[in-house]
Amino acid sequence: MKTQLVTVFVLFTALALGQSPGKKAPSVTLAPIDPVTVTRGKGAPVSLHFRVAPGFHINSNTPTSEFLIPTALKMDAPTDIALTRTSYPAGKDMSFPFAPDEPLNVYTGDFTVTMTVRPLHTVQAGKYAIHGDLKYQACDNAACYPPKHLPVEFEVKVLKGTTSGGKNPAQSPHAHR
Amino acid sequence: MKRNPAALFFVAAVVAAMLFVGFHAARRSGDGSSDSLDVAGKPAPDFTLQSLDGKNVQLSSYKGQAVLLNFWATWCGPCKIEMPWFVELQKEYGPQGLQIVGVAMDDASKEDITKFVKEMGVNYTILLGKEAVGQEYGGVNVLPTTFFIDRDGKIVAREFGLQSRSLFVDNIKKALSQGQAVQARK
Repeated sequence: MKTQLVTVFVLFTALALGQSPGKKAPSVTLAPIDPVTVTRGKGAPVSLHFRVAPGFHINSNTPTSEFLIPTALKMDAPTDIALTRTSYPAGKDMSFPFAPDEPLNVYTGDFTVTMTVRPLHTVQAGKYAIHGDLKYQACDNAACYPPKHLPVEFEVKVLKGTTSGGKNPAQSPHAHR
Repeated sequence: MKRNPAALFFVAAVVAAMLFVGFHAARRSGDGSSDSLDVAGKPAPDFTLQSLDGKNVQLSSYKGQAVLLNFWATWCGPCKIEMPWFVELQKEYGPQGLQIVGVAMDDASKEDITKFVKEMGVNYTILLGKEAVGQEYGGVNVLPTTFFIDRDGKIVAREFGLQSRSLFVDNIKKALSQGQAVQARK
């Protein structure tokens, strides 16, 4: 009986909150990112899988108007771990009721941003935390919402590898942990 | 299966409570719908903001006129749809005492906002918004958000998101008909 009551409670909580038409806050979520293992001096790809909540869209990285806010990733990496070749997917050209004649270039549903992590030869082997955020601005069919920042964090495990790199503790990354 | 009356009553109470909470949460949050009842009759919070030509404009200086107060941003597509309507409505109802005031809730520079406004052919007052003013008006977490204020400075209606032009006309007429008129400013 207790289980049934809990189930009913959860179902109706969802119902009550979901009942509000269009009341869901616009959201973009990031799937968990597996730690990236990379040998210093070499590169490793990282894929960030984002999801835009149903009913909303966000501008692509290359929106159709200078006034629109592009979706953009800003990462803050340790000084000697380079993040390169950030690549955004192409957006979809979509028309909306508020601008039927002016298609917007947007992301909806799932989209993936990729980049390459490349620790320099000077990095000490170990684990490093990479932080950053995804700036986006969401709209639905009738309204827009202020720009938001979604935190992005993942771990990089740097291996020594076979090549001998110059060890320079003075340049150790500030995010070393 | 045996049914426990107490448990059924509990479930019914939970359902009723959830629906009540959901309904009222819906009324309070912005979503592209109107919820004028929440704020109708309350005084519009006064503020002073800078216009695009650098003048300080105080909302209460429009007392005696009806005000359509529109929170918008250059990055807001639905806001762009409303702007040509506002241009027409300012022409049509301005002589009767309507003043449309757009508050740009933008991070864009004054120059960019000015460029945008010029491109849109705006003929009404545009002010540079501040977060604090948005907070006074309930947070303005949805754009566009539009308030209709009567001649006495009281809120007549509030609309979230893109609405029909006819709804704007109805609210403008309501705002113009309430409160004490003073001679419309030029």
